[in-house]
Amino acid sequence: MTKVTFIENNGNRIEAIAEVGQSLMQVAVNSGVSGISAECGGACACGTCHCYVVGNGLVTLPTPDGDEADMIEFVIDPKANSRLSCQIAITPDLDGLIVHIPASQT
Amino acid sequence: MPLTSSDQLSFDPLSQAFAADPYPTYAALRERAHPYYYEDVDTWMLTKMADVENVALDKTMLRGNDDVLTAAERKAQQRKMNWHDMPHHERFVQFNLLESEGDVHDRLRKLVFREFTPGMILKQRGAIQAFVDKLLAELVGQNEIDFVEDFASHIPGHIIGRMLGVPDEDCPQLRVWSENVVRFFNVGCDDNDKRIAEQATEDFYLYLLDLLKLRETAPHDDLLSRMLAQKQDGLMTEDELIATSMLILMAGHGSTIDVLGSGMHSLLKFPDQRIKLRDDPSLIKTAVQEMFRYEAPLPYFHRFATQDCTVGGQYFTAGTRFGLLYGAANRDPARFDAPDTFDVTRSPNRHVAFGGGTHFCLGNHLARLDMDVIFTTLNERFTDVQLVDARPEYKSGLSVRGPKSLQIAWKEV
Repeated sequence: MTKVTFIENNGNRIEAIAEVGQSLMQVAVNSGVSGISAECGGACACGTCHCYVVGNGLVTLPTPDGDEADMIEFVIDPKANSRLSCQIAITPDLDGLIVHIPASQT
Repeated sequence: MPLTSSDQLSFDPLSQAFAADPYPTYAALRERAHPYYYEDVDTWMLTKMADVENVALDKTMLRGNDDVLTAAERKAQQRKMNWHDMPHHERFVQFNLLESEGDVHDRLRKLVFREFTPGMILKQRGAIQAFVDKLLAELVGQNEIDFVEDFASHIPGHIIGRMLGVPDEDCPQLRVWSENVVRFFNVGCDDNDKRIAEQATEDFYLYLLDLLKLRETAPHDDLLSRMLAQKQDGLMTEDELIATSMLILMAGHGSTIDVLGSGMHSLLKFPDQRIKLRDDPSLIKTAVQEMFRYEAPLPYFHRFATQDCTVGGQYFTAGTRFGLLYGAANRDPARFDAPDTFDVTRSPNRHVAFGGGTHFCLGNHLARLDMDVIFTTLNERFTDVQLVDARPEYKSGLSVRGPKSLQIAWKEV
């Protein structure tokens, strides 16, 4: 059981229980998180699942690969902790992950 | 597969009734337990959001079926598709980013992908605004205009042409070529359409070759110059560069014009929604999303199964062609509350107007920004906009959706 907390731009917190193997994007969509529309369905092709990962999660996660890194560089308001949630697979190590939703996606 | 009585369902996507309102037909198709076989084009039609999404995201479902055909079958298919005698069409329209798969697709998409990312597209806002303001300055004295022809049709091509590196004065010619190239895909395309389409493709090709020669000696800060550098580095061939440029220019024209027209029509059909958006301009992002959901401008794309599969609860063999009816999936009540209601505040709005998976529309952020700037500007400047013709005629066929013209009366604030 992996607990993930999404913090929408208006400060609203949504806590979700994620299953190992799901993508972080799927967890957000299933939990009705506003601002994660993930329009391409997880193909790293649209940039509409951009999020900011904070805390220990950032250390635990593998670094973004080529496609994800390319997209992150050119999303709106990229930061050092920017990720595409469709490219993050849930593992038990990610328990307690905190994810902020960018203002540009609300 | 035996036909059941429900296969007698009336499905005539070429009819005027379908052009006027395809959504009752889509609803009837969606309510069937299994996909519908449309014999005329040997295609199984998918209308439920779950089925459409599953196939769009399935990496074994491809745009082309070359993998499952022999060389002889491929030749026979070209003849059946009726482009066997169109060498430029074969070279630059049947082969491109949209029609390729796997490593070729991924390589070509990556080469242009950065140009269409949200941050890069946002840099076009000033140019879009300036062009919209210039157009409005020319139109503002007229009380009545055709919103499609007089206004919308000029904008997307100008912006995408500018991004690519086409001089402003050539953009009107590009629109003519783009429209003529896609005449091949028209419903009831005849020999004359084919001749015009082939000639336009050749003219377009020769024009781009000349422009590339200019860029070779004097590179600009534009997509064409950057692709030329990629070609010189051996990352793409000249034919791939030409085909990619044509695809970007064509994709950047028609569908955005169509959704600008249908988007305006939706706002005028639902005046309470137009007032809501006018009173709260911050709703523009959800409003634009809803315009795409409500009237997907490209409501139909196909995929071929490369493996035996089960789709919509039914077994299919490799080689089966599926039709992904995005316009139908976007009205699926299993995904959307009150799907036939146009709601500018709808959120989340996970529609499939831009497709899904690896072929997800490359230009989606540009199309949305065009719409954002245009409708925000119109809402600021025009309080009184009325439909002159209550029932504007829509284009016919399964592959496109948009009004042929949209006569409106307007008054500036």
